[in-house]
Amino acid sequence: MMRRSSGRKSDQLVTGSAAVNSTAGGSDLLRSASSKTVSKEIERIDQLFYTYFDRSSSLIGPEGIEAFCSDLDVEHTDVRILMLAWRMNAERQGYFTLEEWRRGLKALRADNLGKLKKALPELEKEVLRPQNFQDFYAYSFRYCLTEEKQKSIDIDVACELLNLVLGFKFRPQVDSLVEYLKKQHEYKVVNMDQWMAILRFCNEINFPLLDNYDADLAWPILLDCFVEWMRGEQP
Amino acid sequence: MSEMHTLHVFCLFDEQFVLVQALLCSSSNLNLTVTAILLKMYLNLPFLSQFFLLTVVVKAVSDLCLHKMGGNLYQRIQQECERHISAKLQSLVGQSLDLVVFLSMVEKCWQDFCDQMLMIRGIALYLDRTHVKQTPNVRSLWDMGLQLFRKHLSLSPEVERKIVTGLLELIERERLGEAIDRTVLGHLLKMFTALGTYAETFEKPFLERTSDFYASEGLKYIQQWDVSDYLKHVEMRLCEEHERCTLYLDANTRKPLVTTTEKQLLERHTSTILDKGFTMLMDLKRVDDLKRLYTLFARNRPAELIAKFLDEKLRAGNKGTSEEELEGTLDRVLVLFRFIQGKDVFEAFYKKDLAKRLLLGKSASIDAEKSMISKLKAECGSQFTNKLEGMFKDIELSKEINDSFKQSSQARTKLPSGIEMSVHVLTTGYWPTYPPMDVRLPHELNVYQDIFKEFYLSKYSGRRLMWQNSLGHCVLKAEFPRGKKELAVSLFQTVVLMLFNDAQKLSYQDIKDSTSIEDKELRRTLQSLACGKVRVLQKIPKGREVEDEDSFLFNDEFAAPLYRIKVNAIQMKETVEENTSTTERVFQDRQYQVDAAIVRIMKTRKVLSHTLLITELFQQLKFPIKPVDLKKRIESLIDREYLERDKNNPQIYNYLA
Repeated sequence: MMRRSSGRKSDQLVTGSAAVNSTAGGSDLLRSASSKTVSKEIERIDQLFYTYFDRSSSLIGPEGIEAFCSDLDVEHTDVRILMLAWRMNAERQGYFTLEEWRRGLKALRADNLGKLKKALPELEKEVLRPQNFQDFYAYSFRYCLTEEKQKSIDIDVACELLNLVLGFKFRPQVDSLVEYLKKQHEYKVVNMDQWMAILRFCNEINFPLLDNYDADLAWPILLDCFVEWMRGEQP
Repeated sequence: MSEMHTLHVFCLFDEQFVLVQALLCSSSNLNLTVTAILLKMYLNLPFLSQFFLLTVVVKAVSDLCLHKMGGNLYQRIQQECERHISAKLQSLVGQSLDLVVFLSMVEKCWQDFCDQMLMIRGIALYLDRTHVKQTPNVRSLWDMGLQLFRKHLSLSPEVERKIVTGLLELIERERLGEAIDRTVLGHLLKMFTALGTYAETFEKPFLERTSDFYASEGLKYIQQWDVSDYLKHVEMRLCEEHERCTLYLDANTRKPLVTTTEKQLLERHTSTILDKGFTMLMDLKRVDDLKRLYTLFARNRPAELIAKFLDEKLRAGNKGTSEEELEGTLDRVLVLFRFIQGKDVFEAFYKKDLAKRLLLGKSASIDAEKSMISKLKAECGSQFTNKLEGMFKDIELSKEINDSFKQSSQARTKLPSGIEMSVHVLTTGYWPTYPPMDVRLPHELNVYQDIFKEFYLSKYSGRRLMWQNSLGHCVLKAEFPRGKKELAVSLFQTVVLMLFNDAQKLSYQDIKDSTSIEDKELRRTLQSLACGKVRVLQKIPKGREVEDEDSFLFNDEFAAPLYRIKVNAIQMKETVEENTSTTERVFQDRQYQVDAAIVRIMKTRKVLSHTLLITELFQQLKFPIKPVDLKKRIESLIDREYLERDKNNPQIYNYLA
């Protein structure tokens, strides 16, 4: 019983990913055919890369990204571009390397603009899955660290980023937070710890009631102050 | 709209000739007629067209600058601005209207000035960027405007006086419960700040007026009201003054304002409040009132005051107190000491004062000093007194070092004659830290220092000696026409006085150049020599403050009944800066202690929840501290990667080795 069932499982595996796993002699033909399609796919992905890349740096730079976005009919400030960067795991803001480009487009199974356009809603869904969103949220912060050894982002940048990555999920929280961040003078930058606490805050705290917020817990002072401000603002 | 634009329009008309010339010779294809017509039409144009014309004028300005006529243009603009500002401020003279109306007129005048200057700057941006930048000693257009405004305001003292009186009057009305226009107040105070005259023109009289106001209010209410009501009133007043600083006063005024208010309403009536109310409140168990009483008095920094009281008692010149009496006083102080929070503040001030007593030889009795230390040791443990005891050790060791130096071959063969010097060698860490102060010493003293250094380092190699000039003191032999004297002076005073060996009269600048003493310190030093009780120098012209233009003369007329005269009391006196820096250091130290405690706890526990960490910290730390301050330090340590928040549970911290 056990053997048979495990045998079936491995069978399924082989068929499921024949292109990579098949080692049986008879599937040589299959392999070369599928590796041909794979290499064709990579070729097309690469081709797309070379339409936007900058010759001197061999990267897609800010101008390339802008052209790419306009071909996609998406603003370059659109959150979907940030999602795409997350999928590629792009390291540097405003730049895509060939490796990152391949990683992202392959995962989306898109080797031309049309397919990519169609893949975007799927990507959105993927990012919004609870297990992915926190990772995406943390990534968006790191993506804004453009200088060497930079560990925090300016309040203005943080506000824009909050609007972009949390705005559609937690509109009232983001509006109040942005208003507070802009009027306070205590903080000029936001660090990763505070950034992650904001997401936690949105997920856990009843808003705008704030009745389950406890400043004696380990919330960063930034949020203690925000809550205090909120409570003072309310009649 | 027209008011907004008048200034630069007539500027332009006056510039017409220059502009047109420039436009002609520039590559621009506009000709004279076109320009003239454009300029004349300017006033009647709708805004958009004005904007269009603006670009023409902006171009004209840059053309002028390119043809090296920037200087000429700048001068013309300056003349026009001056004429305009002077006229505007003159129009305020004699306006004996209602005070509020007058102030809003001034406010309007100032706001217009700002708008107009900003517009001129906008138009002539190119001038600011080229001519102003390339020419030394030329102010930017904005600063030029401010300077002209300041100049003409000071040329009409009546206007300035009326503004200040008006402001003071308004604030007083507010204190008496009237509602006032805070916006006007805020704008005019910002005006003084922008002109750079806030402190001198407004703050000084304001603090005096405040002091008078609360002096009479305090005297009146302390007699009429019972203590409980009085304390509530004081609390409210302090809160109001605080608010005033966030609403319209400059933030720097907060400290002196609160101090002035506390002084008049609390300090002056301390004993009355205690006599009249304390027992009564205790008997009636009025906890709220007692709490208020405690918080209000605690504002006056009891730890610091106890340290100062001890300094007074332990200082030399405290005649008429027997050893037993002194001992009794020390015991009673210690009872009080037990109840104060923030013993670190006490330690810092006690240490600073003790250092001065020891180094300047002003201690009444070393036995009494040591007795106090042993009492503190019994009370707080040896860790508290370690450094204080170290100071005594340094003093004793220094005596031995000096003795062996005097017998050394270096001292016997190389020392310049006529000088005797003794050195205190202090261990860094035991003593308070002193900011390094520069001074150019006379040659003889330099030689002496070098020989001592050579001797010391040959005995204790690998050490580093740093001279603390601000602590040095000397005895000088002085020959005045009316008799020989010995002057006990500070090192800085010495360096200044020795200049008069070779000169009869010196200017402030001369003295500054030859001694290299820092400005504020030098003024204090000269004040002590020429404006105090003992005047070995004469200041010309006479007066309490030392100004840049003053000169100093050796005082031929100097006479005094005693042979030995002390002029160095200024060294014993605590300056405001010293006080602030001592307090700041205590708070800085507390931060380090919190950091160290957090790291210590986390190092042993490795993983700990926020609540438990806070609890442990409260157990370990010996000074009062708020949870939010602990959070701040934790966040800073996360930032510096000593700790991290656990990825799965944000209430838990992990120690990062």
